[in-house]
Amino acid sequence: MLIDINANIGHWPFQQTNCNSCKALLDRMNRFGVNISVIGNMNGIFYKDTQASNEELFEEINSDRHFRNRFIPFGTINPIYAGWKNDLEVCIRKFGMKGIRLYPQYHDYELTDPACIELVKMAGDRGIIVGLTIRMVDSRLRAWMDLSNEWALKDIIPIMKAVPDAKYLALNVSGGIQLNDEDTKIFRDTDILLDTSGRNITDPAGLINKFGRDKFAFGTHSPILDYLTGLLRIESLRDSEADEATKELLRSGNARRILGI
Amino acid sequence: MSKSINRRKFFYDTAFSAAGIILGSNLAEAACPGSASASSYNIMKEVMKYRKINAHEHVGLGVSIELQLDFADKLGIEKLVISRPISAVSGPEATPEEFRKCNESVLQAIKQYPDKYLGSCFVNPVYRKESLEEIKRCTDQGMIGLKVYNQVKINDPLFYPIIEKFIDLKMIILMHAHCGIGVGGKRTKYGNTQPNASVPEDFAEAATRYPEAMFQYAHTGGGGDWEYACKMLSDYPNIYIDTSGSNNEGNMIDFVLKYIGEDRMFYGSDGSFYQSVGTILSSKLTEVQRKKVFFDNFNNILRKAGNHVN
Repeated sequence: MLIDINANIGHWPFQQTNCNSCKALLDRMNRFGVNISVIGNMNGIFYKDTQASNEELFEEINSDRHFRNRFIPFGTINPIYAGWKNDLEVCIRKFGMKGIRLYPQYHDYELTDPACIELVKMAGDRGIIVGLTIRMVDSRLRAWMDLSNEWALKDIIPIMKAVPDAKYLALNVSGGIQLNDEDTKIFRDTDILLDTSGRNITDPAGLINKFGRDKFAFGTHSPILDYLTGLLRIESLRDSEADEATKELLRSGNARRILGI
Repeated sequence: MSKSINRRKFFYDTAFSAAGIILGSNLAEAACPGSASASSYNIMKEVMKYRKINAHEHVGLGVSIELQLDFADKLGIEKLVISRPISAVSGPEATPEEFRKCNESVLQAIKQYPDKYLGSCFVNPVYRKESLEEIKRCTDQGMIGLKVYNQVKINDPLFYPIIEKFIDLKMIILMHAHCGIGVGGKRTKYGNTQPNASVPEDFAEAATRYPEAMFQYAHTGGGGDWEYACKMLSDYPNIYIDTSGSNNEGNMIDFVLKYIGEDRMFYGSDGSFYQSVGTILSSKLTEVQRKKVFFDNFNNILRKAGNHVN
């Protein structure tokens, strides 16, 4: 079984993308053997009112029973915009979302903003996973209206420190994966998964040894990145680097655990 | 502590008892492997199906030879074209002494693994006489092309004698490229951090001046705005593109195919082994086109000088 914990639908305004609807993504999943995808709506990065993107996502998934069976939607919440607590409740109770994605850089707040910490605590209390995308695109390729600053893995440690008992996904890990000893301990002690799509997953076997096999899961960062590199990082591991049980955790086991499915 | 756990359990149970009305049964079905209609795609079988010449790789730039050859073994890469350039921005000055040292490391790697490596010579055109001597020394020892970096732009007159030499040799020139359009908030102007890096317009000018020469535009996945580059280079039949680099953007390969075409694309990694294969496999390229990109196109370049792989 294969679960992609990092896929998107919606529009990326600076570049045409393929497979950014549920239908097109499902076709791609069927072609490449992906059973389930966790998806967010990229429109929520750019809307002032992110809840509109969550409504779009809910409606699209519910437009076809095949979508309902194969997609797990994550809402996009902006904790410095009016009404976010109600938005979160609707995402959980009405839309049945099992997680949320935060985009502090695009929505212009710090991860340690009190409102963000409150949101993550509320999510944690409800068993809702918090997805943090390290970067959407490489700043060297960005359009002139896009962001120039990128996170490294260490930049998300403060929220994990502030809310240690929430569940997290760190997506498209790029721009440096090195952590000091203190941050490594926080990372190890937190319930977090890194998806395998990111540029800095250059040595999956070494990272598994360093952080543990329970910290990684298959992801694509589709449609921004190609669909198969994240899978190749898992399937090309030699038996001596990852046994079949470990590969199964990376393909779906870790994702199923954190998603509770 | 126990209070916290109880509060959390209360919220968790309450939330999902409501959400389950909407999605609970679906998720349960989705979580069952038998319910999904996904194919049993075997990515490693696909990887190994194609012979591969890696048209853009290096030695001595971070990845050890042992690790590089391990990647090659894992990903079915038959040959790697290696070089050891010096960056004008972060490296030492590329004096003749320095570039000879670089080339020596390439020659040593080839001697150590002659079945795996093909070499490209690195020079600095500022040193005309020494560069031409070094090209002769390296090609006499079996090197198959040139790799140049950001000391001098490809259309600079300093390059003319070197380009003419490579026309005679019937070998390709791999030039570092940087297309930093928009970087630095400059909209459609270049925001390059490498002042002498060649931009697509520089390639176009050199290719027009020397239609018999063969140029390899480096790393669409590592050189900035690949959409701009492909559109700029679309009509220059003697400019080839390698798709190496760490930025495996989802639409890149199909875009290169659309504007450059299936005969002018090379597979390369430039240190990003997973991305370089993943992008091609997940593209819309046909099987015939994949064979061309992974192997045949670069082998046809090698054939012109009799250096092809059988």
